Amino acid sequence: MHAANEIFDWVADVLKQQFQIREEFLRPDARLVDDLDLDSVDAIDLSIRLEEKTGLSFKEEDLKAIETIQDIVDFVHERL
Amino acid sequence: MRRRVSRWGRIVGTGAAFALFGLLGVALGLSVYPAAKRCSSDPRVGEFRVQRLVHWTFRAFVRFMKLLGLVELSVHGAERLRAPSARLIVANHPTLLDVVMLGSLMPQLDCVVKREAWSNPFMRGVVTSAGYIPNDLGEDVLAACAERLQQGRRVLLFPEGTRSPKGQLGTFRRGAAHVALSSQAPILPVVIRCEPASLMRGQKWYDVPDEKLRFSIEVGEVLDPRSLVGDREPRASAARDVTRALRDFYAKTLQTLSV
Repeated sequence: MHAANEIFDWVADVLKQQFQIREEFLRPDARLVDDLDLDSVDAIDLSIRLEEKTGLSFKEEDLKAIETIQDIVDFVHERL
Repeated sequence: MRRRVSRWGRIVGTGAAFALFGLLGVALGLSVYPAAKRCSSDPRVGEFRVQRLVHWTFRAFVRFMKLLGLVELSVHGAERLRAPSARLIVANHPTLLDVVMLGSLMPQLDCVVKREAWSNPFMRGVVTSAGYIPNDLGEDVLAACAERLQQGRRVLLFPEGTRSPKGQLGTFRRGAAHVALSSQAPILPVVIRCEPASLMRGQKWYDVPDEKLRFSIEVGEVLDPRSLVGDREPRASAARDVTRALRDFYAKTLQTLSV
């Protein structure tokens, strides 16, 4: 899972399966809180899933800097 | 003319009621409530005692408002509120008096209160002594609510997080669903109505309508949160299902449009 588009597909899949986000909202520039209605509990769950999948660890300040789906993709892509 | 006079009477009465409420808050918050809490070495017993006193204070206050002809209250299903076991009580939040009305019906009730109350002289005494939960603890608010439910206590949450927009339902947050799912406590949905609409968000206390406020509180059937979700559903998805079910219930019962 190194190519950016693979990372995006995986994140989109988690958002769909686990957070009931509808397919049409899953665009790279979709904002997690404002557009996709994720809350603080969701942020924790999402970071746990990402940590399990990538082995990366997400610190609180990393999570704060993430605003859109693309931000997650970039974060993972830069570190893997 | 008579209508005008009675309206002015209502404004004065409402002012007197609010003044009394503030005074009681300070007086009891500085004396009786903390003393009641200190009576026991077990903080839980102390909190229960204070919550019971708050209940009596609210009951007296509601009676006072009824005597002044300011409000009328009808309750359906009150016995469900008094069941002595863990209940997550959720309610819509049309007016400023909802907590007082609900508190007057239950001798023990844990609430989540705005952090500002801990620095407000009218409220500091009561919120510290009664062990209410401040709203600025992030996910720990949910954990604190779940913990109290696991101890068999009643916890009140407004899924809208604040008072409802005029005549409508606000956005439902998922905190109440998370609390219900993690504690597995039964949910008791309460529907509050106030006619004519008054004491709403952004409305001044002296913006009093021409008639008495008719409150109705309807306590619904107990709802098992697990019955609303799949067996191995991830919690984020389960919380969405429970929140949607709750919101649908309120929208249907109140027959209002969503915002």
